[in-house]
Amino acid sequence: MSAMRVVPTGELERERRAARRTRFTWIAGAALLTLALTVQPFRDTDVWWHLALGQLITTHGIPAHEPFSFLPAAYPWVGQQWLYEVLLAGLVGAGGAALASAVMGAVAVVALVVAALAVPRTARVGGVWLAIGILLSGLVMAQVVGVRGQVISLAGVAAVLFVIARWREGRTGFVWLLPALFLVWANMHAGFIVGLAILALALPLARALAPATAIARKPLAAALGLSLLATLINPAGIALYGYVAETFMNPTITQVVTEWMSPDFHNVWVQLFEAEAILLVVLWVIGGGPDRFDAVLAVAALAATLQAQRNISLFALIAVPQIALYGSRAWRLRIAPRLRARRTATAPRAASLIAVAAITAVAAAVATTVVPRLTSSASAAFESSRYPKAAADYVAAHFARDRLYTADSWGGYLAFRFPEGRVVFLYDETAIFGSAALQRYLDVHLLRKDWATVLSSESVHHAIVGDNSQEAAAFHEIGWTIDCHDATSGSLVMTAPTMAPSKVSSPLAVPTTAATAC
Amino acid sequence: MTTMAEPVVRVHARSRRWLEELVSPGGLFVSAIVILALFPVTSIIRDPDFWWHLRAGQLIVDHGALLGTDPFTYTVSSHAWTMHEWLSEVFFAVVQRAGGLGPIVLILSVVTWIGIVCILLRAALRAPNRFVLGLGVLLGVIAGYPIWGPRVQMVTFCFSALTLLLVERHLVRGGRAIWLLVPLFLVWSNLHSGFIIGLGFIAVVIVAELAGRRLGMPDNASSSRVRALIPVLVACAVVSMINPNGPGILLYAFQTQTSAAQQALILEWHSPDFHDWNVLPFGIMLVSLVALITVNRRLRARDAALVLVTAALALQSVRHIALFVAAATPVWINQADLLLRRRRGRAVQRRPGAMPPLRLRVLTFAALAVTLFAAFVAGRLVPAMRAQPGSLAYAQEFPVCATRWLATAPRPLNIFNQYGEGGFLSYQLSSRGDKVFVFGDAALMGDALLYRYAAVEAVQPSWESIIRSAGTDIVLFDTGTPLANVMAHSTRWVNVYHDPLSVAFVPVDKQSALNLPPAPASYPPGDPCSQLKVASSVNGGTQNP
Repeated sequence: MSAMRVVPTGELERERRAARRTRFTWIAGAALLTLALTVQPFRDTDVWWHLALGQLITTHGIPAHEPFSFLPAAYPWVGQQWLYEVLLAGLVGAGGAALASAVMGAVAVVALVVAALAVPRTARVGGVWLAIGILLSGLVMAQVVGVRGQVISLAGVAAVLFVIARWREGRTGFVWLLPALFLVWANMHAGFIVGLAILALALPLARALAPATAIARKPLAAALGLSLLATLINPAGIALYGYVAETFMNPTITQVVTEWMSPDFHNVWVQLFEAEAILLVVLWVIGGGPDRFDAVLAVAALAATLQAQRNISLFALIAVPQIALYGSRAWRLRIAPRLRARRTATAPRAASLIAVAAITAVAAAVATTVVPRLTSSASAAFESSRYPKAAADYVAAHFARDRLYTADSWGGYLAFRFPEGRVVFLYDETAIFGSAALQRYLDVHLLRKDWATVLSSESVHHAIVGDNSQEAAAFHEIGWTIDCHDATSGSLVMTAPTMAPSKVSSPLAVPTTAATAC
Repeated sequence: MTTMAEPVVRVHARSRRWLEELVSPGGLFVSAIVILALFPVTSIIRDPDFWWHLRAGQLIVDHGALLGTDPFTYTVSSHAWTMHEWLSEVFFAVVQRAGGLGPIVLILSVVTWIGIVCILLRAALRAPNRFVLGLGVLLGVIAGYPIWGPRVQMVTFCFSALTLLLVERHLVRGGRAIWLLVPLFLVWSNLHSGFIIGLGFIAVVIVAELAGRRLGMPDNASSSRVRALIPVLVACAVVSMINPNGPGILLYAFQTQTSAAQQALILEWHSPDFHDWNVLPFGIMLVSLVALITVNRRLRARDAALVLVTAALALQSVRHIALFVAAATPVWINQADLLLRRRRGRAVQRRPGAMPPLRLRVLTFAALAVTLFAAFVAGRLVPAMRAQPGSLAYAQEFPVCATRWLATAPRPLNIFNQYGEGGFLSYQLSSRGDKVFVFGDAALMGDALLYRYAAVEAVQPSWESIIRSAGTDIVLFDTGTPLANVMAHSTRWVNVYHDPLSVAFVPVDKQSALNLPPAPASYPPGDPCSQLKVASSVNGGTQNP
């Protein structure tokens, strides 16, 4: 007869509470640490034109046509992120860039935590593995989060994964949250398409998580249908899908926007993604194999990432619950039996004190990292160093209404600085502009055969360009002169000659004196 | 009591079994794939580095010694030159003098094909289903398409595949054939610095098998056979040092991996672009392999290690796709075969249908093989072998017409050139005394020069000072590049030559001193340069090699 441990009910309840506290401590600690990665200044160059649009929508409503550029856009304006833009403008208006950074950083962390909680309850995944999943994926996606609409989609995907996990446990009621989620999501970011795709995959592939649980596919199918309809409740209606298709299928986009290119595996951040992908496969193999839904989801995210590096964050998010689940399983199957560690029980009160102390220490450490980024001086310094602020100030003072050329990465900033008068050449809302406008921009940016002709035919007489850029060297050869040098951001303000120059007798020399500063 | 006839009967029975297998439907499929694999690996020489290797080989043969410094550039002529491929270069020079480029194309194509055959043989050690075997080899051949072509790197591909075959054969069957690796590495280390990959593969297999045994992974090789690889590895490393560069050759091979400039600036060292249709099959092979491993959950330690290492290398640099194909194709085949066996194990087995007579099957096989091989020879091999450096095929890839014009210049010139054309220019013009700014031995060029070149190619503001300060007489670049399109507007430079592929500029203040001949206004009918105009306008422009 085997010995059984009889545990009084009270002690059982205390053990359960202690386990929950421990789990919470690990998750909270990991979430706090990840905050140091996700709270970012305005690093994404698109934030500025989104902000400009938010301000425009707040005062004038959603524009019918592209409002900032003098290039003719191929398609009517699709306000597919109007709600995000209005909220962004509200955050910046209320608390400056710092508030927007803090809020979007918190949203990214919430996404990671919600994704971690998508592990099956029956798997009893410990807090340690949840924390590992959160931290590792937080590190992998650190370069692509911050103040950007994509973070909204990460939160949406996390919510979808959570709902699917609960549905697989037999808690069907959760699926009725989806239509409301998609209604909001479709008005904040076009990444809702990914959420619909995940649901469509779950419908045929996902199995019940517990043997005795019957999975009801009809409610999920109905929720998916309602969610699809909910996405049509947006200013563009069904045209939103045309916009999404144009974004995904336009080959010119991969020439303009770095994020749509395949990952560069020389980059250490991409190597982290590579390491996480390898770890996931290893954990699948030694952890008894993945569930087919998990496998298909992760492999699809991997394939999507090889196509476009912006999908690194999607893969990382999908990997959070899987690393936790299969890592925990692999540990129990392979490693734990080989360890002969003695487990000494810690008194519950001491464990609580340790947990509180650890959380406090982590919070303090994170605060010392994050808070300095959120001051107005830090935001201003970042803006000046990353974007041609001083150059734009000069232009505002001298040729506010004239058309400007700049690289697409700064186009969004100039749209924010000069929202009226249609003076901007192009920014990264590539799906609206269409191929013709994009090629026109690329003719100049890539110095193709007719680059000089494009500038004259579009009546562009001023430019803000990088002081080490090919445009600066090229414009100099056709007689453009330097008005001023913004050394902080490394930009030049250049102006075309009023008459055709007879001779440009020397190469471009970037001025370095204070007299020539913007 | 055995008789003399019994061994003969056994051999005859074995031969018949082999023949039956060869002419079975699966055997036909595999044989067809093996012959079809000849097509993508055979072409004219597109490797831009081939030309300076050939010229270097000619100089080695003429001087009877390796070159201590490079005779091709006017920028880094003082740099010490580690001629790590001297034996390949001498081989090219000797063969080219004997029979032109044709035999070189043939030999390098066959070398690549042998590598593919080694992959097949390694996969066949585990007796997979023949259709899976053929499909896997086909996938590997397609995945490697961006890299195939007559080039020295294919020596490393072939020898890597051969190394893995011998290692696998040793681990599965034992024996002394593994010691063939020692003379292989002796030759390899003098042919191409990629021999370090071979050493790495052997080391990875040893470590993986030892670790896999401890982790309880399936299908481990016997520990005695694994241990027997260690002295083989040591012997291979020792003989690798028997080359003109001595033990230093081992460190040289790592230079490229640790050079930030080479990794950042040279296209082949860039990560694969999965928007490129040529690269997509590699992505499909990688993702499908991950899926197969996940479904089967049965992977040998050495397979896991080889796939991991080569996948990481291939994702880092597109040129390493060939190594991934060499290492991972047999793993893909094995995993696909495992999946097929599991599915067949569940399915009701169908009785195979009656096969046609053996003689008819042999005739079918022979007809198929002869037809495919004849198509290869007529449609692919002969045209590739017959193309000469001055032909239209090469004129569309390299500045043939521009070099013809430059050869009429009254004196040697310092040419600022496109990186990928330095080799061809050196081959064609170095005997005249013309020098180039840069060519494809990036380790010899050094990071500093590579960064300077990149600044010019990217038309950074310092472009002109870099060109002039190096002592450049003439800039020869591809038509339609940013540099060419900017120089066309510069009043300090004058366009002195233009064809659909190349354009040349000289400084205005040097134009009269250089006294260059005028660019040809036209070419005789049938001349490749006149056809280049027509062909390029049909093709809509040229691409950089």
